[in-house]
Amino acid sequence: MSNSIAIFAIVFGASVLLFCWSCYKRFRLITLGKPENRFSHVGRRIWSMLFYAFAQRRVLSRPFGLNHSILFWSFLCLLVANTEFLLHGLFPQTIALSLLPAPLYYALAFIFDIVSIVVLICVANAFSRRIFFPPDYIEARSRDAFVILSLVAGLMIFFFGLHASEIARGVEGAAAYMPISNLAASILFSGMSEHSLITAAEIFWWGHALILLAFLNYLPYSKHMHILTAIPNCFFQSLEKVTTQPREEFKKGNAFGVENIGQFRWNDLFDSYSCTECGRCTDVCPATNTHKPLNPRLIIHDIKENVVHNGPLLIKGKKPVLPLIGGDHEGSISEDAIWDCTTCRACMEVCPVFIEHVPKLIGMRRYLVEMKAEFPEELLNFFENIENRSNPWGIAPPDRVKWCSDIDVQPFEAGKTEYLYYVGCAGAFDSRSIQISQAMAKILNAGGVSWGILGADEPCCGDSVRRLGNEFLFDRIAKNNIQLFQERGVQKIIVSCPHGYSTLKNDYRQYGAELEVIHYTELINTLITEGTLQLKDPDGLGKVVFHDSCYLGRYNEIYAAPRQVIAAVSGQRPAEMERHQANSFCCGAGGGRMWLEESRGERINIARVKEALGENPDTLCSCCPYCLIMFEDGLKDEGAMDRVKALDLAEMVAGALK
Amino acid sequence: MADKKKKVKKPRGKAQLITGKCIACGARCEAACPVDAIAMNDKGEPIIDTTQCTGCRKCVKICPAEALEIYYTPEELKILAELEKEKGGPAEVEEIDEEEAKQAAKLKEYKDVWVFVEQTEGEPATVSWELLGVGARLAQALGVKLCSVVVGSKVEALCRESFAYGAALSYLVDDPIFLNYRTEAYRDAVCHLVKTYKPQVLLMGATGLGRDLAGAVATQLATGLTADCTGLDIDDHGFLLQTRPAFGGNIMATIVTERHRPQMATVRPHVMPMPEKNASRKRKIIRESLKVGKADLAVKVLEIIHDSKGKDAVDVTAAEIIVSGGAGMQSQENFAILQELADELGGVVGASRRAVDACWMPPECQIGQTGKTVGPKIYIACGISGAIQHLVGMQSSDIIIAINNDKQAPIFEVATYGIVGDVFKIIPAITRRIRELRTQK
Repeated sequence: MSNSIAIFAIVFGASVLLFCWSCYKRFRLITLGKPENRFSHVGRRIWSMLFYAFAQRRVLSRPFGLNHSILFWSFLCLLVANTEFLLHGLFPQTIALSLLPAPLYYALAFIFDIVSIVVLICVANAFSRRIFFPPDYIEARSRDAFVILSLVAGLMIFFFGLHASEIARGVEGAAAYMPISNLAASILFSGMSEHSLITAAEIFWWGHALILLAFLNYLPYSKHMHILTAIPNCFFQSLEKVTTQPREEFKKGNAFGVENIGQFRWNDLFDSYSCTECGRCTDVCPATNTHKPLNPRLIIHDIKENVVHNGPLLIKGKKPVLPLIGGDHEGSISEDAIWDCTTCRACMEVCPVFIEHVPKLIGMRRYLVEMKAEFPEELLNFFENIENRSNPWGIAPPDRVKWCSDIDVQPFEAGKTEYLYYVGCAGAFDSRSIQISQAMAKILNAGGVSWGILGADEPCCGDSVRRLGNEFLFDRIAKNNIQLFQERGVQKIIVSCPHGYSTLKNDYRQYGAELEVIHYTELINTLITEGTLQLKDPDGLGKVVFHDSCYLGRYNEIYAAPRQVIAAVSGQRPAEMERHQANSFCCGAGGGRMWLEESRGERINIARVKEALGENPDTLCSCCPYCLIMFEDGLKDEGAMDRVKALDLAEMVAGALK
Repeated sequence: MADKKKKVKKPRGKAQLITGKCIACGARCEAACPVDAIAMNDKGEPIIDTTQCTGCRKCVKICPAEALEIYYTPEELKILAELEKEKGGPAEVEEIDEEEAKQAAKLKEYKDVWVFVEQTEGEPATVSWELLGVGARLAQALGVKLCSVVVGSKVEALCRESFAYGAALSYLVDDPIFLNYRTEAYRDAVCHLVKTYKPQVLLMGATGLGRDLAGAVATQLATGLTADCTGLDIDDHGFLLQTRPAFGGNIMATIVTERHRPQMATVRPHVMPMPEKNASRKRKIIRESLKVGKADLAVKVLEIIHDSKGKDAVDVTAAEIIVSGGAGMQSQENFAILQELADELGGVVGASRRAVDACWMPPECQIGQTGKTVGPKIYIACGISGAIQHLVGMQSSDIIIAINNDKQAPIFEVATYGIVGDVFKIIPAITRRIRELRTQK
């Protein structure tokens, strides 16, 4: 027996060493990433980890997530079992479950037995799903997946085999408390000779041990590395919702954006290790859903492949061989995919391990725009117009007040006007969005709000510029705008456009601006509930379907206020599309895509309009000028303009004022 | 005993600022002063140290606002009056500044008016002939010759063609190395010619090639270049007056290259009229050669890919007249009436995004935010609502004519002329009328 122990000790030692070495090789590549503080507020981080990782909060948001959660908790449980198993193999006399006080021993034996069969059932469940009802958003039938499921199944089978043979031999003290093993013993091993049972036990023991150690060593090379990294990744998640991108320092000699993995932050690289390849991000991505090259899961996968291939070279100071951007192969991300992103955040909203997809894509956009000047042609005009005329359409700034030429609007003056109404570029220049601004003027006046506008001095917020990766231009815009706000004494801002709202509220904070930014839906909701705004009885709106704009909902979690307003105006809560609230489907204009042509796949806005039309609405309501433009275009293309009206919430309210 | 009269030095006076006339141009007077007698105050006005001032008048001449003048003290005035009496005539303070004299002499060495004849694969750019037309007028005003400059390989025929358009002389640099345009080679050729033959005016067409070459040549020769001129003239002093729009077209600026030669200008195609062609004119060709080795050039032409669509391809960005259709056209067949009008006017048909999305027109014709940006002379918008996304692609057109049956359409806010009506009646009517006018002519 001591020979056996010696052999096992060698095997065990070698496996553990190999495992440690593999981990070292992989994880030291994370050090290639740029520094980032993800260690502050340890208490909050531990709580996140417990809530999201251990309680599997996001995993459970989908029905099949139950299967995984059970597997996860079972694994934690069996961690104890397997630790005992391995140590027992090294020190059979001193470490054994049977040496524990009897009640504990029996309890654990029972738990392990039940848990193992549960695991086996879950694994069978997973197998059958991948074979018979695979969801189309993941590579369901990947080699990796089947190998892992087989290994786990093997572990459980050998577990039962081992205990069954020991029970059949009569040497298992807790036999009465191990129902499944007992069953297996009586069915399979009854009537076998002592000798064969001993051999069987030996085989099952070694089998279990080898599979376990093999599994351990397979981990760092498969997507199951997430076993090691997912829990820490929940610890390392951003404490605030990721609604912005990090700033860049514009100093001579700096490189900008992400050209190779060494320019990601270390947590971006760790993200790629944590991906479980569940494919939920892909499932909700508007680009993937409309058959575009962008596939969020593959983006993260390609980053991981790139880290693994190029990392060892970069660590030695050599040049990477696999280009991160541009290639057609694994480990490389195409430029098309990079530009397809609408920054809608749906991917980050569903990711169970808090991978941050959007900042990575924008990092690569920054490289393309700032270092290589390689971006879609349509953006040339756009960037130039923003730089020269401070609006995307290149219109003379004094024209910004044309929308209110027929109505009485005050210029903002600190001390005289309490709020700045930030009209935004669309609200000032786009003929359809001007109607939103005019509606807002009516509402603000009716509500007795003290407000004014900046008029010709109002600058573009810079949202599209930042999301497109032109951080240099955004940096300048933000600094100029904040200075302007300071000079004018602007502290409270009402915004109708969610992009402007999010940028002023979240992005500008990185520059030290402390502005109180209010979205008009919340303001109107307050005015209505206070009774300041008097509404007529609802008229002519019919069935209202509400669309949650990405930058209002997912970015800033404003879901309730618009619905309450609609209820107040139309007399009932709005109908919901299937993909609503945090699961809302983008209109396609975010991430600077408003200024780009959509030439591949189906049009995102049409996909969303079709979904809306499925509810047979009379009114399609949104709170964003981009969404309004996209929906009107979509309705025109679907020939539904006569049946359905696309309205902004402000227009609905203004039309309902007494 | 003869009383030699002591030679009285003619007083030169001192410079002083005429209060209120200084425009704070940026201290040109300070820079011009050879004895550092001028310092600038906070407002950008000059303070002249009269103890240092020699009365050389450099600052007076350089001031763009004529805000500096020479003044004489009463004693100096007395001396001047006496000298005047002696001379018996008005003593003009004729300053023969040595430097000035040298400069003037140098400028006088530059004589002729040159026009660069652009060619691609032997095909001349018609703007070159237009420039010969205006060049002839300039040369006549200056009393000098009009010459053409041809650079290429086996392009002698273009010299002869330039004679037909009015050139009196042609300079030719003909070598296989100039077969395909490369900046360095052409620049060196033109600069060599300029340095040898010294033209006082050099005109080039503001095409892609011309813009590239003109800037390179002007930099090499360290002379001034005015791009995209809409007018060229000669003033009383013999300077070339180069006129072009500035500040977004809100003012017309006339620019003069006073102190450097040649005076270079580029002019866009179709701005100057085409001169008459007289093929019988025969003139002299001066051939020049210069050593330009292949190895000296950083650019190598590897392959020439011709636009597969060839000359028939529609390029809306280059068109002078665009007849554009939008959602109001309602079908692909209806675009035919726009094509008819475009043909009559010598223009091309463009489209808004809706028309392209509906596949009525090809994507190359799309004008707007994500399509092409155009700035033609005339833009006729038919059935286009004029949403901002379209306007941004055509708002810089010189004249916008909008036809739409919706009175409220935003296009009417930017149109020079607007017709509220049925585009299917109006466009054919316009086409008919133009045909009538044409036959009447």
